[in-house]
Amino acid sequence: MILRLISCAALGLALSTTAHAHHAFSAEFDVESPVEFTGKVTKVELINPHSWIHLAVTKEDGTTENWMIEGGSPNSLFRQGVTKNSIPIGSELKVFGYQARDGATRAVGRTIHFIDGTPLFFGGSAPPNSSGAPER
Amino acid sequence: MNASFPYRTLSTIALLSSALAAAADELPRTSWGTPSLQGYYTNATIVPLERPVDLGEREFLTEEEAQARLERAMTVTETQPGTEADVHYQFDDYGMARAQNQTVFSHRSSIITSPKNGRLPPATPEALARGQEIRAWRAEHGFDSAKERSLSERCIIWAHEGPPLLPTGYNNHVQIMESKNHIVIMSEMIHDARVIPIRDSAPTAVLPPQWQGSSWGRWEGDTLVIETTGFSGRVTPTGAAAPMAVDAKVVERISRIDAETLKYEFTVNDPTLWEAPWSGDYVMQAVEGPVFEYACHEGNYGLPNNLSGARAIEAKGGKP
Repeated sequence: MILRLISCAALGLALSTTAHAHHAFSAEFDVESPVEFTGKVTKVELINPHSWIHLAVTKEDGTTENWMIEGGSPNSLFRQGVTKNSIPIGSELKVFGYQARDGATRAVGRTIHFIDGTPLFFGGSAPPNSSGAPER
Repeated sequence: MNASFPYRTLSTIALLSSALAAAADELPRTSWGTPSLQGYYTNATIVPLERPVDLGEREFLTEEEAQARLERAMTVTETQPGTEADVHYQFDDYGMARAQNQTVFSHRSSIITSPKNGRLPPATPEALARGQEIRAWRAEHGFDSAKERSLSERCIIWAHEGPPLLPTGYNNHVQIMESKNHIVIMSEMIHDARVIPIRDSAPTAVLPPQWQGSSWGRWEGDTLVIETTGFSGRVTPTGAAAPMAVDAKVVERISRIDAETLKYEFTVNDPTLWEAPWSGDYVMQAVEGPVFEYACHEGNYGLPNNLSGARAIEAKGGKP
């Protein structure tokens, strides 16, 4: 399981200013409630301040639960050519995350992969057309 | 500084300033003759606002130090499952990691250039007391209602939008639009646009307090000088213990270095917050547009979700 975040040390150096997230995730989601499941995409909201992906998750008893998975700001994705169509409706995703404290079927998407193991967007490496080349 | 460092740097730019000045006639200009500042830029940088204490008054890193800082800034490390830090999405999954975005590299040891130690001046006793009061209140009431959440969580304003405009963690794009009589500075996050009139003298009208103050600009040679006062008294600027005072003053200076680069300088003077004024500068680099609309309010599910989480914690006898 790949779990990545810019390290605090790197943030302090790299971001040069306050680098807080838009809101406190640990207030919204419960570290004591990790969740892991697969589901089919029913809706993609690439919106600010955070993206949301809606999934239909089939439970063991055959019933379906609708989950909302929270992710990052999509603006950098847009710059790399990603659109909401990059995740086709009906795609099967595997999610590891933490469930909402209020018990709703919402979770922060700590790691999200397509069912074949492909990372959701760029996962773990710079996108091919990254403009982060140091010569700039 | 070793000039062979392969990145365009602030220090290199400083060394070249006289040569650049000689080429002023070649700068892109508007039809009315002033340097054209219009365009899309990023102010993402690996230079910290404050200089590490152990560097003293040293303004520039050695090449080895700069390389090491660059590598640290580009490193993505793992968080441990089951920890509070792990309750988050992956930055690099969303193209938000430093290495995935155009970033200005530099040997500079800090954005702050004055005081000479490159650090914020000491906070005033008044600011420290006010800050302590605010923190205590937030600890007790911070989750009472939406109105008690931070201005950024409410999609009203983020401190880095300024003035002074400072880099932040991600979405560091800036769009500048200009006409003969106005200039607009729009930051990508949270998408605020400062509409700044260009005038011969300071306006006499006293406007109601504004989140980003009331600004006016004038040209001093090829440098646009912007003065801002009339703040809301509710926005805590980057590095401050408490909100900026209504009558604080920020002076910004924007000049074009070349076709792709702007220099942004600023001085902050708020005697209620800091014992002395402080100044800094950095470079903005041209990027490909557009700057995508941030549209924060429309999708801000996090605000009600946070409050809902707080109520759940309280229902279990806890304190959010």
